[in-house]
Amino acid sequence: MLSSEEIIRTIEMLKNENLDVRTVTLGISLRDCVSSSVTELCMRIRTKIKRVAGGMVAVCDRISNKYGIPIVNKRLAVTPIAAVAEALEQEEYCVVARALDEAAQEVGVNFIGGYSALVQKGFTKGDRHLIATLPEVLSSTRHICASINVASTKAGINMDAVLLMGRAIKEISVATAEQDGFGCAKLVVFANMPEDNPFMAGAYLGYGEPEAVINVGVSGPGVVKKELERALQSGKRLTLNDLSEIIKKTSFRVTRVGELIAREVAEQLGVSFGIVDLSLAPTPTVGDSVGEIFQCLGLKSIGVPGSTAALALLNDAVKKGGAFASSSVGGLSGAFIPVSEDLNLSEAIGSGHLSLEKLEAMTAVCSVGLDMIAIPGKVDAETIAAIIADEMAIGVFNHKTTAVRLIPVPGKDVGDKAVFGGLFGEAHIVEVRNIACSSAFTGFGGRIPAPITSIRN
Amino acid sequence: MGIKKPSKNKLVSVSVMGVDRPGIVAGVARVLYENACNIEALSQTVIMGQFAMIVVVAPLKASKTEALEKDLAELAREMRLEIHVRMLDPEGRPGFDPGEAEPFVITVRGQDRPGLVSAITAILAEQGINITRLGAEVVPLGQQLEYIQIYEVDIPRVLDFALIQRALRDKGAEIGVTVDMQHRDIFRTINQI
Repeated sequence: MLSSEEIIRTIEMLKNENLDVRTVTLGISLRDCVSSSVTELCMRIRTKIKRVAGGMVAVCDRISNKYGIPIVNKRLAVTPIAAVAEALEQEEYCVVARALDEAAQEVGVNFIGGYSALVQKGFTKGDRHLIATLPEVLSSTRHICASINVASTKAGINMDAVLLMGRAIKEISVATAEQDGFGCAKLVVFANMPEDNPFMAGAYLGYGEPEAVINVGVSGPGVVKKELERALQSGKRLTLNDLSEIIKKTSFRVTRVGELIAREVAEQLGVSFGIVDLSLAPTPTVGDSVGEIFQCLGLKSIGVPGSTAALALLNDAVKKGGAFASSSVGGLSGAFIPVSEDLNLSEAIGSGHLSLEKLEAMTAVCSVGLDMIAIPGKVDAETIAAIIADEMAIGVFNHKTTAVRLIPVPGKDVGDKAVFGGLFGEAHIVEVRNIACSSAFTGFGGRIPAPITSIRN
Repeated sequence: MGIKKPSKNKLVSVSVMGVDRPGIVAGVARVLYENACNIEALSQTVIMGQFAMIVVVAPLKASKTEALEKDLAELAREMRLEIHVRMLDPEGRPGFDPGEAEPFVITVRGQDRPGLVSAITAILAEQGINITRLGAEVVPLGQQLEYIQIYEVDIPRVLDFALIQRALRDKGAEIGVTVDMQHRDIFRTINQI
């Protein structure tokens, strides 16, 4: 039997602590849409997306209503387009992108991920076409998100791809200059990219995934912060063990909600249930910030000494609680530190407490990487490539996912602010030191070999 | 609530009310035991110092209903309680059957005022929705104290829960309270393993 206390506590989490399901992402395989005719391919893609995802938004809304849990985002993830459109010419990729964009609009989702290529060991013709069309696609479509995997623990780091991505990011930034380089917010460069990630911009449907699958991302840091605050206000003497325990229990509750919703959405759509991603994903709303958790843990701001240790504790406790709550954990599953999407992080950049170097250090112990960071427009492609290489090395050599989502903001510099709006938020431009010092290194090209620890068989 | 198979034996319901203090349950239980009655089900609560208990008992062969009634009446006089004894109709024992139904929890929050329960329950009664549990209390919610009513209900599958949700929400808006209706599983999922 439910106790009144349990009911009241749940209502409080929902009403005052931003407990929600952050994203329900429907993965759809487009492998059966392949054609060497662009018209045929686009028609098949639109038909399939409409057939599989047509009812998705209505189903999500009804389930959200039934349980009184907001489902913030409804999204699609598809088979990497580099593979689906492999037989096409470069200029035809943009036509495919438009078809995807229209299909997403038609079924009412806010983003569709999978304008992607996996090039950690080398390029196919399709991969090159896809990367070459990124500036045009990301500046001319609304719903499309792109991701490129340039490194893996098994393959090492494809430095040719890293340099290409440095250049692509610059071009996309210029192509979307009037929106402060917003196109770059829809592109992630990965090491060890997960095949079942429900979060944008990195969602795509991996080659080992089923025909259609529901993956969910659970709620954010607001609930964790409130639980910590409540414990701290109780007046009891607490150690970091106690705080870790509180985070763990909260993560358990949140994950259970995610799994309940995911299973029901999957059942009603008649598709497989995939995974629950445990990531603590912040939003620009006050009270829904990862940065504020650091302040609860006794640090003046995220970025000060102690931040990496605090993040390690947070990330680990979230995983432990979540893993107990669900046997289907996947995706990125950790704490996110996306600068512009977390008001507190953005302010930490503005106040000088948080630097690019500290962000990089913290990514060694959390789930993503250098995420949603606005940098001066003057930073050159080679420097961006070198920053990507550093971040990829952290992922490759530590057997984990890392990613880079940098946004060079044309015409803006340190002291200015980039404004992206909505969930993407706004960000103070972070200082990039030692610009134009790395081009000879990135210019070598080739591959940084896989680490010795990758040979495990 | 689980519905038991109707037992062939006769059952008696004993309801007890009065000012709460130690010894009430002990007194009633002693009389039941002395009259060879076995307690089949029991529920007891105290609100604002008022004690209320309902006990369903199965009298054994040796038990005499008249003697039980007499002893309970005496106990009621001694302890200043109100005690009612009633034979249960074997036909009516399984209770109300909502048919295929889903369990939902309705919460009403806001300023307390006369007529709240009446307004909410009128909608439920009109739709033939049975209340399985109902409680009201003042609790700390966020920074302040708030009055909250909690109804557990069974919504028959043939009804559209979204329409009932809307009717409740609209009624809440009209009388100045927040009314939510959520499937019970969300509370279980968050709080129980």
